[in-house]
Formats: sequence, structure tokens, C-alpha cells
Amino acid sequence: MELQSDVADTQQQMEQQHFHVLAVDDSPFERKLLERLLRECACKVTCVESGDKALEYLNQLDTYQSNSADSTASLSSSQSPQQEGLKINLIITDYSMPGMSGYDLLKTVKGSSSSWKDIPVVVISSENVPSRISMCLQEGAEEFLLKPLKLSDLKNLQPHLLKSLVHYNKDTKCSTDTGNNNNNDNVVKMNNNVISKRIAMSPEPSERRPKPKELAVV
Amino acid sequence: MDRNHLKRQVDFMKRSFLDQGYLDEQFIQLEELQDDDNPNFVEEIVTLFFNDSARLLQNIEQALVSGPIDFAKLDNYMHQFKGSSSSIGAKRVKDECTRFKEYCTAGNAEGCFRTFVQVKQEHATLRTKLETYFQLARQAGPPGTSRGQVR
Repeated sequence: MELQSDVADTQQQMEQQHFHVLAVDDSPFERKLLERLLRECACKVTCVESGDKALEYLNQLDTYQSNSADSTASLSSSQSPQQEGLKINLIITDYSMPGMSGYDLLKTVKGSSSSWKDIPVVVISSENVPSRISMCLQEGAEEFLLKPLKLSDLKNLQPHLLKSLVHYNKDTKCSTDTGNNNNNDNVVKMNNNVISKRIAMSPEPSERRPKPKELAVV
Repeated sequence: MDRNHLKRQVDFMKRSFLDQGYLDEQFIQLEELQDDDNPNFVEEIVTLFFNDSARLLQNIEQALVSGPIDFAKLDNYMHQFKGSSSSIGAKRVKDECTRFKEYCTAGNAEGCFRTFVQVKQEHATLRTKLETYFQLARQAGPPGTSRGQVR
């Protein structure tokens, strides 16, 4: 059955996938920790030290991809930019950085007219400031995580990484549980209500956060 | 020297750090990130921390002794320092940072000076303890090294 084989394809793609995460933090110590944590989650990691460098990197990727775009005409999964492993599946950024803050970076990415706006962004901070958290979430951040980070915090980001995968696949015939537009809307709606899981006062219960599936992302 | 004996010593040392509040659960989290592919992760990241933090402490010291105190700047430096202290599980250091920040917020220069001395002290103490710890850990060899094997 066509549907079944599409699901199997996506699943296989997800299993082979190395998500590429762009980690932004001005502290070398934090970058090393982030990198290790993310690699433990089977992600490819690119670390940069500032928001400006992050935008520079994204620009570079865009240039690279438009230069090699010709081969992706047929849109089969083996040729999609996704499989090249270059495309950024998630940006994780510290909030407090000199110069461009994590919030500024978030705004720039989400406010862009290009595909950047679809990249999930997670903000991390060592301070639990409710107004700051809702500001980021309102601006489109998927999650606001509190430091010190634990491995489980990053493992819980899988739904967002998968969401980014699904987005790239929506032009193909794939349909999975989270593949159709209705469910994407639900995910967005859930994220609008979910505040950081460790915030003291949470106006909404956080159980609607999708349980991360233990996918074999190797 | 009996490797297992060394390993027990390492474990004992770590447990005493935890019991005495020098380190907390976060340090254990870091140890769990150490494996065959990243055999020296904890020592590397702790080293990075002490390098980073030495610089920050210098900045704070400068800000405290040169001219009228800029509490906002101080708070900013201390915020960074506290953040990374908590990320490696340096509990006592972190607690002193919290105290410092309280004085900062209150604009209490004397309180800041006093607490800063404590911060530096805890920082130095931890550094020494962890240096000894890693030395011992290196002698003991990675977990799973068979008895009697010399590296």
C-alpha cells in the first residue's frame, strides 16, 4: 500500500538522519558542553560564538545550497538538501550574549522571509525570568530551557527536530502522524502554551508536550 | 598498585565532594557524558571552566577595585560565572555567587567585597580538589580496565 511504504520511507530516513544543530553561545565552556550533549543525541553540531556568526553561517549554507541546487530538481529523498546533512534542523542559542542576544537572533531568524523562519529555535538561559520566557515563546521559540542543561532536556527536543524533517518532506507524498497540516497546527498551538518546563509558575499544564519517541536516530 | 583500590579511592573522593557540597548532581551528569569516544571529557570541560572563570574573576576584581562600582556590570560578570559554575556542578561556588548577586542587586559594595573573597576561596579550593581527583582518576584508569593491566 502506498501510504505504508511512504511511512516506512520517512521512518527509515529519520533513523538514518543526523540532525544538524547550530549551537550559539559566547562561552567556550558552554559550547563544549552543548556540543557534547547534542552529539550524545546523535546530532551533528556546528558551534558559533555569536548571533552574528550564526547568521553568517546560515547565509553561507544558503549560498552553498543555491549553487548546488540543480541536482535537487527531482526531489527524491536521497537528493534533498536534508540528506546532505548541511541544512540546519534546529538552532539552540543562549539568551544572554554580548552584541546580538539570543532573543535578537530569534527575532531575525523568525522574521526572515526565507526558509530560515521555519527552523525551530530553542533558547537557553541560566535565569528563570517569566517575562523573558514568554517573550521568546511569543517570538516563535519552540522551547525555553533553563541551565544547567541535562541530557534529558536535549533528548526532549526530538519532536522539534522531527517537525523540521516533516516540513521538508511535505512536498513529497509522505504522510506520518505529524505529517499533515492539521497536526502541524496542533504542534504550533501546543508550543504557544508550553512554557519552560522548569518555570516556577506555569499558567498551563505542560503535559500536552508530545512525549518524545525513542527513535533510533543513529 | 592495585587499580581497584585506586578506583575505590576515586569513588570515595567523589562521594565526599558530593556529601560536603563541593559538587552536586550536575557533575555526575557530566561524568555520564564521558565514554570511550570522549574519554577525558570531564577533565577537559572542567579545565575549560577554570580557564574561563579565572578570566571572569579577574574582570570582577577589576570592576570592584577600579573607581566607582558599576553594579550592573558586576552583576553581568557574576551572572556568567555563576552560570558556568552551576553547569559543572560547582555547588559551593555557585552558592557564593548567589550571595554576591544579592549584594550586587542591593548596591551593597562592602557585601560584594566580602562575598567576592569567599567566591575566590571556594573557586581555588575546588580547583585544588579537582586537580587531585583527576590525577587519581588518571592513575586508576578508565572504568573497565582489567586488574593488573598497566597503561
